[in-house]
Amino acid sequence: MSAIDWSIIGLYLMWIVWDGIRLSRNTDKIDGYFLASKSLPWWAVGLSVMATQLSAITMTSSTGQGYADGIGLLQQYYALPIAMIIISVTFVPFFRNANIYTAYEYLEGRFDARVRSLTALLFLLSRGMATGVVISAPAVVLSVMIGADISTICLLLAVPTAIYTMYGGVQAVAWTDVKQMYLIVFGLVAACVTLIAGLPADISVNDAMHLAGTAGKLQAFNFSTDPSVRFTFWTGTIGALFLFLSYFGTDQSQVQRYLTAKTDDEARTSLFMSAYWKIPLQALVMIIGVLMFVFYLFTPPPMLFNRVHDERVRASARAGEYVALEQRFTAAVGERSGIAQQLTQAEESGDAAALATAQAAFLASEARVKSVRAEAIAFVKDVTGDSTYNDVNYVFPTYIVTQMPVGLIGLLMAAIFAAAMSTIAGELSALSTSTVIDFYRRWVSPDATDERLLRVSRYAMLFWALFASLVAIWAAELGSLIEVVNRFGSFFYGSILGVFLLAIGWSRANAIGALVGLVAGMSVVAYFTVFTTVAFLWHNLIGAVVVFIVGMIVSELTGPRKQESVVG
Amino acid sequence: MTEMQRTYVKVTLIWVATLAVLYAFQIFYTR
Repeated sequence: MSAIDWSIIGLYLMWIVWDGIRLSRNTDKIDGYFLASKSLPWWAVGLSVMATQLSAITMTSSTGQGYADGIGLLQQYYALPIAMIIISVTFVPFFRNANIYTAYEYLEGRFDARVRSLTALLFLLSRGMATGVVISAPAVVLSVMIGADISTICLLLAVPTAIYTMYGGVQAVAWTDVKQMYLIVFGLVAACVTLIAGLPADISVNDAMHLAGTAGKLQAFNFSTDPSVRFTFWTGTIGALFLFLSYFGTDQSQVQRYLTAKTDDEARTSLFMSAYWKIPLQALVMIIGVLMFVFYLFTPPPMLFNRVHDERVRASARAGEYVALEQRFTAAVGERSGIAQQLTQAEESGDAAALATAQAAFLASEARVKSVRAEAIAFVKDVTGDSTYNDVNYVFPTYIVTQMPVGLIGLLMAAIFAAAMSTIAGELSALSTSTVIDFYRRWVSPDATDERLLRVSRYAMLFWALFASLVAIWAAELGSLIEVVNRFGSFFYGSILGVFLLAIGWSRANAIGALVGLVAGMSVVAYFTVFTTVAFLWHNLIGAVVVFIVGMIVSELTGPRKQESVVG
Repeated sequence: MTEMQRTYVKVTLIWVATLAVLYAFQIFYTR
């Protein structure tokens, strides 16, 4: 990367810290620090919700999945608008009328302190780990580009974010999220335009989409009912519905956002911004992956996108075998490029027989390229011992660094930083709020002054920043990052949602029922994770249903719920 | 029907339209 690009990244990092601190108001009171004094406009809350959800993993790993497997991952987001309507009708008025700082406070009023503390603890563990994964994605990107140590980069990313979040609380998070969201969308559009401009002169966008479609990269709907298939229309609309209900309805990092809006309707309107824009935005991300696939049909791609592994294998005793594989790969890619041109010409000629022949030849050539690449990846795993290596995470970063013009490289890298930091900031703020409100103020010092609570909150944020950084170093060694995040979430999400559904939907539910149901839900999800091949998005539905049914039965067997101090 | 209820209907209609566009996109380019 050039000095200009590094300067852009440096300027971005300094500006965002300064801007976050500058825009914070009334942060000497816990209402201002944790809830922005319920003063934020709907559009700022809406952009903040979207920025928190769109992490650097979305930009690096999802684009890579678009390149390798097509846009099937998009199905995971199909249920989001419906989830937003359900949340607007149910959770938003419940939480806002309850005058609470965290979602889990509601459970103490409804059940008891044990249920509140257990769900808050599960949130802290799962979100703390997930934040680590969110940090590791851009760290992986940078490590590939400059060969720097991943752990150093993790800390460099986490520390500036922790500084402005510690100082400005949720206001700093929300206002910086707004700016970061603009930068992210600009970066994605710029990447899309650059990719289209990089196609050969005789290949139009329409031709590019036909080539991608022929290769099976544009399957936005898979109606398979096989429960082991990860992304289908059914996992996306039913399984993911429960994931989104849990994430946006019970996860403190999201609940805290709509608690900051001025009114209930502004809170709802902020959620609808995601309902309208999340699927198109995610489609843009996936299309970038697809366009990279078409771009690399006509521009020879590297056999492996991870330069570090590539260099390690070349320096090993088995370098000769690797070079032989590369020669086969180069031949297969060259052949595929010629056939892709023929396929485009056949499309334009309108000759059905020629088109069918060209399509068959293209699919065969694509299969040969995939086969050699699979051999290369298996070879690299064997030589380096990195058994979880997944090449797709390196595709977009490699494209940015090797194909984009100076200046835009810096802006795209700043956009990846922005995506990571907006998510990290939101999570750190939520983790700190829950630690202080659900544990410190609840169990250690109920009469603590605002000043003391704010001080403890800042220490808690520092602790979580450190914890997440350590997890990040470990997570960088795992496979495709987007799935890792969702797997962490799915282990707890469904069960936590089940507790809230039980609280709101079954008036006779009691604390024993909620606790037994929660343990049963997590046990069943653990069983499905370890012993079955059922796709992870179904785990949310399974967890929620088990908690609700077991909680209902146990509540009926052990007597009615307590009557005092019901919140909401 | 309240303003918010009308918004719920609008969100649902736009959701259906978005999925329909995506489905048409898939059919057009994978035929």
